Amino acid sequence: MPQTTIYAAPRIGEQTPPAVATHELARLFGRSAALAGVSLSVERGAVVALLGPNGAGKTTLLRIVATALRPSFGSAEVDGIDVARRPDLVRGRIGYLSHATGLYDDLTAAENLRFAASMLGLPDGAASVDRALGEVGLTVDARRRVRGFSAGMRHRLALARLLLARLELVLLDEPHATLDADGMLLVDDVIGRWKAAGSTVLIASHQADRVSRLADGWARLDNGLLSEIGGNGVTALESARVGQPAMAGA
Amino acid sequence: MTGLRADAAIALAIARKDALAELRGRQIAGSTLFFATLVLLLFGFALGPDARRLAEAAPGLLWLAIVFGSLLVVARLHQQEAEDDALEVLVRYPVERHAIYLGKLLAGIGAVGVLGAVLLPVVGILYGIPLLPAWPALVATLVLGTIGLAAVGTFYAGVTVRMQAREVMLPLLMLPIVAPLLLACVKATAAAVSGNPLGDLAAWVQLLVVFDVVMVVAGAATYGHLLEE
Repeated sequence: MPQTTIYAAPRIGEQTPPAVATHELARLFGRSAALAGVSLSVERGAVVALLGPNGAGKTTLLRIVATALRPSFGSAEVDGIDVARRPDLVRGRIGYLSHATGLYDDLTAAENLRFAASMLGLPDGAASVDRALGEVGLTVDARRRVRGFSAGMRHRLALARLLLARLELVLLDEPHATLDADGMLLVDDVIGRWKAAGSTVLIASHQADRVSRLADGWARLDNGLLSEIGGNGVTALESARVGQPAMAGA
Repeated sequence: MTGLRADAAIALAIARKDALAELRGRQIAGSTLFFATLVLLLFGFALGPDARRLAEAAPGLLWLAIVFGSLLVVARLHQQEAEDDALEVLVRYPVERHAIYLGKLLAGIGAVGVLGAVLLPVVGILYGIPLLPAWPALVATLVLGTIGLAAVGTFYAGVTVRMQAREVMLPLLMLPIVAPLLLACVKATAAAVSGNPLGDLAAWVQLLVVFDVVMVVAGAATYGHLLEE
């Protein structure tokens, strides 16, 4: 169950930590560096697009922030909390939609969400499930087993899982992939609602045109390094080596 | 909700999810029961028609069949988490790690318990051993043996779940650790069906209790670290 943690309000003159900050963040897989020292900061409530080609390090960055992967070097913080040291303090606030949907094929759509609601400790689990299924257009498929779902339906159901609880930080990895035109519009709409609710959203995507319309700012990764940054809501930290391959080939 | 009650609720939710998935998919029950029964039949054929010989071997064969079956059970319970990376989603829920272990353990106890409950009468019939007079001791041994097997199996299934060769690694890691449990279960079962002539049943049951407590505590304390990538 998520532990209720009370955080002290910042005092006058005290700066609120950014929603996400990475400091020289690096992750090695064997001898190759998926991330080679990325330092950036994302403001609270901002929608930021992470752009870049395959293998740029976008997914690795999201997985580290989501506490699904530990960094090899450097650190990542959510609301000023180091995610590798205290993942327990941030997991309840983060929603992560990855390439894999993480659904149970032998359960129905509603049962998958009810299980997620139980794990999130939601007091009104059944109501939340019905609402989330409705929001992604799966109400009529609520009692169908996920095994028979198309890739797009599975993606919608995984998105519905993120809609069960109020999230402070949403991490989306290729959220438009496998979706038809209606599904893509649905994702755009949900991102807009998260933004309106004050959630911070990080979107890794190849669809630069589409996510640029949704995002306040963007950061481009190349070969595990920050190569460009622009717009609002995202800044390279002072220590960032934008476009300098400090660890390339590590 | 207090921490203990919250952990219990999480563990029950996981066990319920696993049970529901199994009842729907029936991926464990059919194959495991068939396999374990086949083991008993084949050993029966190998030992021949000598009734006394069969009765003497029955406790050992019963527990070998349960151990082999439990390997399939715990592997399958974790395999469903590996499909479509459900494990990564499970691990990122804001819950205590030991609650995840206890949930998986409960599901394992249920599945191995059903296996044992089916195999016990099968052994009684195939090998001609009297079960009814000894049923309290047999049930106690079955319960304790099931908990121990599920505790060790759940732990090592967590160790191997991300491995490519998990089907090979699970028995290699698990079988040496359950050797004392297997010995105690066989001895306790033999003592129970023979009317406990040596008076050693209580000692074997005590060993089973200690084994279970140690394995459950160790599993709960360490399982969460295994799941982190």
